[in-house]
Amino acid sequence: MPLQEPVLTKRIPTPPFGDFSQRKLISYEDFVATGGYVGLKKAIDMQPSDIIDTMKASELRGRGGAGFPAGVKWSFLPPQDGKPRYLAVNSDESEPGTFKDRMLLDFDPHILLEGIAICMRACQLDTTYIYIRGEYHHQAKVLNAAIDEAYANNIFGPNSIMGKINDREPRCFVHRGAGAYICGEETALLNSLEGKRGWPRIKPPFPAVAGAFGRPTIINNVETLAMCGPIIDRGVDWFKTMGVARPEGVPPHVPASYGPKLIGVSGHVNRPGVYEENLGITVREMIEKYCGGMRNGKKFKSAVPGGIAMGVLGTDQIDAPLDFDIGRNFGCLGLGTAGVIVMDEDTDMVAMARNVVRFFSHESCGQCTPCREGSNWVYKTLKRIEEGNGTTADLDLLLEVSGSQGAMPGTTICGLADGTNWAIKTFLNKFWDDFESRVKPSKIAGYSLPVLV
Amino acid sequence: MPWITKNSGTMQIDTREEAYLDEALKAEIEANIIPRYPDRRAAMLPTLHAVQHKVGWLPAQALKEIGEFLGTAPAEVMDTATFYEEYWLTPKGKYVIWVCQSISCELMDRESLMTKLKAKLSIEPGETTEDGKFTLMNVECLGSCGTAPCALVDEKLHENLSVDNVDAILDALE
Ligand SMILES: Cc1cc2nc3c(=O)[nH]c(=O)nc-3n(C[C@H](O)[C@H](O)[C@H](O)COP(=O)(O)O)c2cc1C
Ligand code: SF4
Ligand code: FES
Repeated sequence: MPLQEPVLTKRIPTPPFGDFSQRKLISYEDFVATGGYVGLKKAIDMQPSDIIDTMKASELRGRGGAGFPAGVKWSFLPPQDGKPRYLAVNSDESEPGTFKDRMLLDFDPHILLEGIAICMRACQLDTTYIYIRGEYHHQAKVLNAAIDEAYANNIFGPNSIMGKINDREPRCFVHRGAGAYICGEETALLNSLEGKRGWPRIKPPFPAVAGAFGRPTIINNVETLAMCGPIIDRGVDWFKTMGVARPEGVPPHVPASYGPKLIGVSGHVNRPGVYEENLGITVREMIEKYCGGMRNGKKFKSAVPGGIAMGVLGTDQIDAPLDFDIGRNFGCLGLGTAGVIVMDEDTDMVAMARNVVRFFSHESCGQCTPCREGSNWVYKTLKRIEEGNGTTADLDLLLEVSGSQGAMPGTTICGLADGTNWAIKTFLNKFWDDFESRVKPSKIAGYSLPVLV
Repeated sequence: MPWITKNSGTMQIDTREEAYLDEALKAEIEANIIPRYPDRRAAMLPTLHAVQHKVGWLPAQALKEIGEFLGTAPAEVMDTATFYEEYWLTPKGKYVIWVCQSISCELMDRESLMTKLKAKLSIEPGETTEDGKFTLMNVECLGSCGTAPCALVDEKLHENLSVDNVDAILDALE
């Protein structure tokens, strides 16, 4: 069933409920006039632990890429000890194909601030840092202005309607990054917040136990937090009428794909943009119903389901539903950010694979050898193939090298290497002919090794 | 790529009398930025941004001054600053044009855009025009893939670019 009414895009006109051209910045007054901060008021009347239980019951899963249930994450915090505890909002949004958080920040910053306040109240966090990528200059300004409005209206600050948290006044700040994709990885984000290089940390300890400045820290994506106000306001049952329920026979601890999701579509479609739909909508429906079909009437060749780290869908997988099970069911890493990149029949898959690996090679933080060296070798090999100088041995080598990045748990610190691995693996496996037709036969006999995962 | 090292062991740094991180800027950061964090080092990124905003780039002397101000070794300031692409440790042109090169922009033909820019400015990505006016850069995804191809000119994003509309944007900067 399609989305019946807009939720995250309630105030951001979006087809079919509204028109892109009608979008404008929502002020504090506009937000309150349209039911904003009602969720927060309800949260203030609840016990913090009840808010967490509600979030758990909603089964809201993280919208930043990994899909971890937010309520469960919130319940990992240790008991309060009177010292500061932090919320770090992940607004780094640098994964190619992903531009959804930007839309919320551009037009409805208070929906994020309400979610932040609810999370601070539920988890008893006194200080929030919104880590926003450096390139989002305009969005950082909008956010700062919205935070000023929120202080002026006692959402945060000395007279906050939340009272004191950990004996401190609730505070909220913007912290700007400076151009590094890896700072979206949650522990790299923390290092960057602390004024260091954005190097991911070895886990454990997990941030909920020892995060920013060594203190308990919750890290959530912008869209995840933006969903909290509507859930607290309208309830778990309402939220669970949207999206995909658990299939029959699946045990209740396995999270389902409830709720609506912002889906950003880019590439070869007539009307790219960020749309809101229930989880479970198919790639085909997104293209045909929302994006005005394929550009120039071309045929569909492939799509990235949600940011390039997820890999690609094959030509015959256009009916894949965009939900958190897409990885398992369609041979990719997962839903990721639901930033769908559509490619038409004329697309050069070798060039696209090269583009994707260049990204990961460039953005590798350099700590782990398989990621730093591996991605660079894969990039060079793909360039060689693209330029017509590759051999069949290169294809074997590609599968071997890419398959050993991140695939073996413990060989790399963070998930960036996994992304590289899945991107290459799916490009090669699903578009093998495109690659094979570009290479010459190798004279190295018997090179081919099986890929063991 | 932050792990590329340079042979700089014997390099002398250029210094000047006047501080880059002057008293006014220090006072502003002390009042508005430092109180946000539990320790001074956390003000590193905001301070680097502020100094770069004022000076245009980050001379070595400025890194030393930031180290003193925040109570960290200059080498640690350097360590942080070299990691991030937006910090300039060498001078740049008056305007920096960052053209996205990631997948959605490549799908939407950022290549012809770049070819046109290179020809118009007679420079390659990474270079600055002789008159010091423009620096041209390739950059990864700018988070605006739905309006690809796009480019950031300093702090302003330009969307849905093409060989036909890019002239107007540059000409407006003349
Ligand atoms: C290499 C890498 C990059 C990431 N980039 C982002 C990002 O830009 N934004 C984001 O919200 N999460 C990003 N994540 C996921 C975060 O680590 C983290 O899971 C997420 O912010 C948690 O929030 P959520 O549970 O609300 O989704 C990234 C992860 C990895 C491994
Ligand atoms: S996997 Fe790559 S990006 Fe992640 S910590 Fe290791 S080197 Fe850095
Ligand atoms: S790919 Fe160019 S803005 Fe995202």
